[in-house]
Amino acid sequence: MDDRRKHRWISFLKIKGSALFWTASCAALAIFLVLFLYVWPEWKMGPEQPISFSHQVHAGVKQINCRFCHSYVDRSQHPGMPPVEKCLYCHKYIIAEHPEIKKEHNYYNTNTPTPWKKVFYLPEHVFFKHQRHIDREIQCQECHGEVEKMDRLKGVNFKMGFCIKCHREKEGTPLGCWLGCHN
Amino acid sequence: MDRRTFLKLAGIGSLSFAAGCSDPEKTIYSLVKAPDDMVTGQAKWYATTCRECPAGCGVLVKNREGRVIKIEGNPLHPINKGKVCIRGQAALQGVYNPGRLKSPILKTENGLQNISFSDAENLLSEKFSIAKISGSGRIKMMTEVVSRPLYQIFDHIMTTYGADAPTVFEPFAYESLKTANEMVFGIDGLFSYKMEQSDFLISFGADFLDTWLSPVEYTIKFKEMHGVRNGKKGRFVHISPSQTLTAANADTWIPCNIDDETIVALGLIREMIVWGKGETLDKSLLGNLQSIADPYTIQKVSEQTGISERLISGISESLVKSRHPLVLGSGNSFNGERSLETCIASNLLNLLLNPDLSQLDFNERYRVETAARRSEIYNFFNEVSEDKTNLLLLNNVNPVFTLPKQSGVQKALKNKSVFVVCFSNFMDETSAKADMVIPVAMPLESWDVYESTSKVITTLQPAMKPLYGDPQIGDLLIRSSFKDVTETEFYKTEVIRSLVKKGSISTELQWLNMVRNGGLYNVPENKASFSKKLSKKIFDVLLLDRKETTIPLSLAIMPSVRFFDGRGANRPWLSEIPDPLTKVVWQAPVLMHPETVKRNNLKHGDMTAIETDNGLVEAIVYETAGIKENVLGISMRRDHTIDGQFIEDKEDSIFSLLSANIENLSGGPISHARVISIKKAKSSEPLAHTDGSRLQHDRKIAMAMPFSQYSNSQDHKKTHGGSGLSMHEFPLTLPIPEGYDAHRDIYPSHEHENYRWAMVVDLDRCVGCAACMGACYAENNIGIAGKRQIINGREMSWVRVERYLDPEDNKKVIFLPMMCQHCDAAPCESVCPVYAPHHSKEGLNNQIYNRCIGTRFCSQNCPYKVRRFNWFGWKWPYPLNLQLNPDVTARSKGVMEKCSFCIQRIKEAHTTAKREKRKIKDGEVIPACAQTCPSDVFTFGNLMDPESRVSKLVSDKRAYQVMGYLNTKPAVIYLKKILNEI
Repeated sequence: MDDRRKHRWISFLKIKGSALFWTASCAALAIFLVLFLYVWPEWKMGPEQPISFSHQVHAGVKQINCRFCHSYVDRSQHPGMPPVEKCLYCHKYIIAEHPEIKKEHNYYNTNTPTPWKKVFYLPEHVFFKHQRHIDREIQCQECHGEVEKMDRLKGVNFKMGFCIKCHREKEGTPLGCWLGCHN
Repeated sequence: MDRRTFLKLAGIGSLSFAAGCSDPEKTIYSLVKAPDDMVTGQAKWYATTCRECPAGCGVLVKNREGRVIKIEGNPLHPINKGKVCIRGQAALQGVYNPGRLKSPILKTENGLQNISFSDAENLLSEKFSIAKISGSGRIKMMTEVVSRPLYQIFDHIMTTYGADAPTVFEPFAYESLKTANEMVFGIDGLFSYKMEQSDFLISFGADFLDTWLSPVEYTIKFKEMHGVRNGKKGRFVHISPSQTLTAANADTWIPCNIDDETIVALGLIREMIVWGKGETLDKSLLGNLQSIADPYTIQKVSEQTGISERLISGISESLVKSRHPLVLGSGNSFNGERSLETCIASNLLNLLLNPDLSQLDFNERYRVETAARRSEIYNFFNEVSEDKTNLLLLNNVNPVFTLPKQSGVQKALKNKSVFVVCFSNFMDETSAKADMVIPVAMPLESWDVYESTSKVITTLQPAMKPLYGDPQIGDLLIRSSFKDVTETEFYKTEVIRSLVKKGSISTELQWLNMVRNGGLYNVPENKASFSKKLSKKIFDVLLLDRKETTIPLSLAIMPSVRFFDGRGANRPWLSEIPDPLTKVVWQAPVLMHPETVKRNNLKHGDMTAIETDNGLVEAIVYETAGIKENVLGISMRRDHTIDGQFIEDKEDSIFSLLSANIENLSGGPISHARVISIKKAKSSEPLAHTDGSRLQHDRKIAMAMPFSQYSNSQDHKKTHGGSGLSMHEFPLTLPIPEGYDAHRDIYPSHEHENYRWAMVVDLDRCVGCAACMGACYAENNIGIAGKRQIINGREMSWVRVERYLDPEDNKKVIFLPMMCQHCDAAPCESVCPVYAPHHSKEGLNNQIYNRCIGTRFCSQNCPYKVRRFNWFGWKWPYPLNLQLNPDVTARSKGVMEKCSFCIQRIKEAHTTAKREKRKIKDGEVIPACAQTCPSDVFTFGNLMDPESRVSKLVSDKRAYQVMGYLNTKPAVIYLKKILNEI
């Protein structure tokens, strides 16, 4: 870079420098506020659900077995989400007038599926079978964390290392790519 | 800014970009009420019936989370025994066709208008009332071949309104065969043939592997007859103008001009009488027959047809010597002036050869026999345009497409005083001209019972809820026509009632069992009485003085194994999967004999304009020895966009080239026309084909051995190759540790744990029908590349059926299904820089999609060319995406893919076996291709288990590996085809 051009750059920065600085710091502050107020809670707690369902109350305090709600887990690759009907088996009688339960009644009466937010993610090319893991008597908490202590579930983005760790440790677990997960 | 700073900034930018974009949030919808029979993530199978053609094969439909995703044959069903053809596989793409109508359409002054189902129903019942007020006979109805109860409902409605019974229209109505059956056996219908019992088969154009009567049933029967059985192998001679799939599977295919089949058949009748057959027949009858056939000496037949005398006398000799010969007449392809005579002569030949007619099952009759003759169809439309009809109902028929222009159908539909209602799921040539189109539930979404044959009543049940909430036609008509007559009822109740009335079932449990099994398979026989008193008319027909009019060149419109009469053309798979013989996709070329090509100064691949008396067509020349010199052939096709949308402004249909003439005695159509001119067209388009070459160039790909060698040779080693390294000496090397040889191998052998999956492919059984390809597309989410990309060589099929011609005789064809060979020393594995192809402990060659970076080295190094690269992210326009198999990844752009031996099915079997604490049993894993193959070409199993079927089959003396001399040690072992000469 020749001297003249360098000089022009420096003078440009001197004049516009302070303006640039203030704009940049304002933008940074705005981004920080947005992150702090909106994104941060989600990071910590997981996404907000359409009905503020508490796993802590159901699985922790009331000691309801996971498989009561997620009933397909031992016979299918999907654990299954409880149908609205099933929630109302109890909540027809228990705190039936609670505003959150009323939402549930509303879903049932209008025949609308509940749009739960997904919290545990697997890449789309991975075919995980719950059934096989249940057959080996692996506790739900081993992968899903201490669900019974969380109100709103904080999700996990499962990565391959997470799976491989167990599969290497335990005997008789498939390590074949296709035979395991990828197909 | 210098380079360093730029990289730093770019690095920060992409990092923050990555941090900001985690997975997009997804929603899991919970059900409101859980259905009893649905477990998410698990498939449910429903037994129902395929209605893609009138054959009525029993199918099991796989339903995942409320969507049908795969069709397989119902193993309990006696017609198709667990197998389905390519058209059956593609029925799913009818249900999920992007062109499927979402709501009824009404033609108004302001163009087409979508209306609701209830509005359509009200309008329909209004039209019914108007027709009733204006007097009797104001309604006319034409329907496809439908079940008995549905027909009864139609008929009941028509009677209530004082109209004629509905006319059943089927483009293939087998008029000549039906008439011949009536004249010779006194049965005006279509009965079944016990082909499996015969040892010598002659077919005069009956394409029983393509479209004739019940293709899957006859493929199974044909292979039983044509396979090696007790040291013997049945033989098959096909005589027809063009080499169809059936002809390609004949031991000898004899090309002849259209209508010359009659001469050959009469010549054979003469020969049989000379050989003393038919002595048990009535003397006067035999005398009559003798006088008719007498002029047809071998010399004369040879002179008139151009078939060598040696061949004819060879055939007649084989006919005499065989114990259970069977002769078939056609009725649906190459219909000419003399089709009836050919069918009569075939029936007479059967009578001469087997006086007890043990191979004709008169008690088993096909439902398609209810179809009206073509002459009646023409009358129908003439009546519509002339008489007082107010309301015309068309149920799932497309006469504007399948009938010639002069047939009067266009005129009838243009008639302003007729309100035309089409019950159709698609905008097609006919529904585009209708006043109202009402989509109705498709067969996979309906209740019904269908008589595949008179011995088999098969049930239809909804395998899923109608995609757009379409009503079933039975319900719709009951509701709208009987609104003010009787109490409305459901069609399903009517179905059950009709079964009870017939005495087929009596309790509800029996009905439930029937639905669960997919039908009633032991319907008590209704002994059909047939008389051997031949109608005198036969001799009138056969003695009819034919003027010797030789047409220099005629164009035949041929049924298509993929599209049937053209109806399947909007299913993308059927267009994407190549025609078994030409290997052309998305186009329908005109088949032309090399002589004809030369005579008209054309060449292979030229676009040509062919003019007949009735119209003009442009098609690409496909030069082949598989057609007679004086005949051009185009298969029945329709033009569609890539996703099955109908192209409305397309010129006339392929059928408009034909005249509306009929053969007077049988009332059948003529399916060929005289060619006036043939010249090179101005436009041009490259031929979209998937075959690299028609010949093998001596590479030991598809191999065959003569039957004599097969039955004599005791020496195993000789047939399994020697021990050398040359192409012919290389031994059969199994992909197991025993196959390792330190002298030949660079790489050590692989150790396998419990299983080494392998497949045996029997070339002697393969008929080349491509059902396996259809099943593979459905099971493995294979993308549709489309015409342009296939011209670029980018087809995606995981399994393909290769077709090779004999270099010495181009009329001899051999088919070879080719898929990933799962080699033990796989050339693809050693060249991948990222280890995306990976050898599993069960011997499979895994392709790890998320690891693949798309170098395409593997595909380059694969000698079998079975690896497919995703050049684009293939599109599944809604609702085609609903068909995707959730157990298989839909691959994205830039990734290599290939056959996985249906790993998802292997995994499924592993899960079950593990749960039951046992090993996987032989035959427990069946890949999609093997499951659907009508002729059981594929055997899949574990090579480590010495008792498995594959382990036993690999020691067959026919076993070899395709290009095994490359020492790839493929896990797909082929069995040579057995040639049988006449």
